[in-house]
Amino acid sequence: MISRKTFLKQSVYALAGSAVVPGIADKFTDLIENPSITILYTNDTHSRIDPYPKNAREFAGLGGIAKRSSLVKKIRFEEKNVLLLDAGDVFQGTPWFDQYGGKVDFEMMSEMGYDAMAIGNHEFDLGLEGFADAAKSAEFSFLCANYSTWNTPMHPFVEHELIKEIDGYKVGIFGLGIQLEGIVDPKLHGRVHYRDPVLSAKRSVENFRNFHACDYIICLSHLGYEYDGNQIDDVSLAQEVSGIDLIIGGHTHTFLDNHVAVENPDGSETLITQMGHSGIRLGRIDLHLNKKSPRPLVTSQYYTIGGNS
Amino acid sequence: MSYRIIRVIGFCFLLTGCAYFSTTTEIEQPTSAYPEPDPQMARQLDAYRDSMNSVMGQKVATVQDTLKFGKPESSLNNIVADALRFQAASTLRQFVHVGITGEESFKLYFVPGKLTVRDVYEFMPYNNHLVVLSMSGEKLMTLIEQVADMGGAPISGVRFRIDEDGNPNSVLVNAQVLDPDETYLVATSSWAANGGDKFPALWNVSDRSDLELSIREVYINYFKNQVELTASTDGRIRR
Repeated sequence: MISRKTFLKQSVYALAGSAVVPGIADKFTDLIENPSITILYTNDTHSRIDPYPKNAREFAGLGGIAKRSSLVKKIRFEEKNVLLLDAGDVFQGTPWFDQYGGKVDFEMMSEMGYDAMAIGNHEFDLGLEGFADAAKSAEFSFLCANYSTWNTPMHPFVEHELIKEIDGYKVGIFGLGIQLEGIVDPKLHGRVHYRDPVLSAKRSVENFRNFHACDYIICLSHLGYEYDGNQIDDVSLAQEVSGIDLIIGGHTHTFLDNHVAVENPDGSETLITQMGHSGIRLGRIDLHLNKKSPRPLVTSQYYTIGGNS
Repeated sequence: MSYRIIRVIGFCFLLTGCAYFSTTTEIEQPTSAYPEPDPQMARQLDAYRDSMNSVMGQKVATVQDTLKFGKPESSLNNIVADALRFQAASTLRQFVHVGITGEESFKLYFVPGKLTVRDVYEFMPYNNHLVVLSMSGEKLMTLIEQVADMGGAPISGVRFRIDEDGNPNSVLVNAQVLDPDETYLVATSSWAANGGDKFPALWNVSDRSDLELSIREVYINYFKNQVELTASTDGRIRR
């Protein structure tokens, strides 16, 4: 399994280090004046707190939240600007969830400094009160722009959008949830209602671009990567909505080794990525900002947690 | 901010060999233990794990041999299908003819040693329940054809041979020839009955009872009754 790919930044350093020539100072200034933002992300971690057992039929020994944490700490030491995001379905999957109902997951994610996560369909598994109970332990945002949560126990915890300002560069982040009908028991989602994600996405993008002057827009999506039928997925979302720079996806447990570029109606591009499930991988996207160009240079890679890296 | 400055200074040192670096002795060292687990988080988890173990650490059975899933039959295939059939029978207090499940939902194989509640939860992470379907012999034969077509699957109460064309031959149900007009009780999981596994014959069966027994309880109860789990196959599916 590929565990790590070289990324641009490292090679820039290597290059600078080997060449003792005049003009190096310019390169430093360049790096400092044109900083980068490192986006780290997971999806569908499904309470995989401990690594997969040695006798697992698949993924034996992989994953583990404490290993993910030490990797995140390492990257935080190396990079100044780090965003840590998740695309939903933290709930359900191991005895940790049966015992603690997601509280331990949210505590550890807060410890690691997660900024936000989307609401997955499994976040309803303990009902709205159950979610609210666990969400009290979370020190990060739950984002969903297309669920109406009004007058439900979920409401105080869910926001449509979040804006992160990094060195004057504004990153708008919003969340999208999957349809509830046929996926979540009505007894569990109660009065939380699903709204059209395309409409919600357009509204968020407009809000970010026109009212907040965001430079970069990220969608945390639990819609799923791609379906055969006409159900909305990340690919069709990108085809229908312009202005989203990056979709961090989930639900379909898809391992995308490289991000996928999809053309928007206005001819621009949306990148889509997804990191399988269970915290087996930590995804990483670096935005290399350049004041001379409106769009950052993007490099992506992933780490396999617990692999021979 | 401080990281960045320190890095740049370190960088100058690399490039010029100047002694600048030595003056900044209070450099923050990386706190990360990667690829080892974060020790601080590991300690916090251990505290939770200790209290979890009072429930999850309870012994369910002893595993004597390595038990795996496999085709056309295997020891673990037979155990998971027998468990469904016998637990359904003891819940209904009635004879149940067949037990069947797909094997994709099971996430572990068994290694010799103590089997705990936690292992069973890892083995079967999903919260499905036990379902008993009443179906005609004709429909049951369709189900057996689907099993044969897959090259075998966990099934209990049925014996047959898969011929060269992938069809079931010499089919016996509870040691008797399958009767197309007879009615048979088939135990399975709600997942399989709702269209989850790859047995269409189990889908949309109108005569269906959903029992208030989770699949995990089925396995915990059955393994406890077995006390020891050993490798054994009985030739229920042959090539």
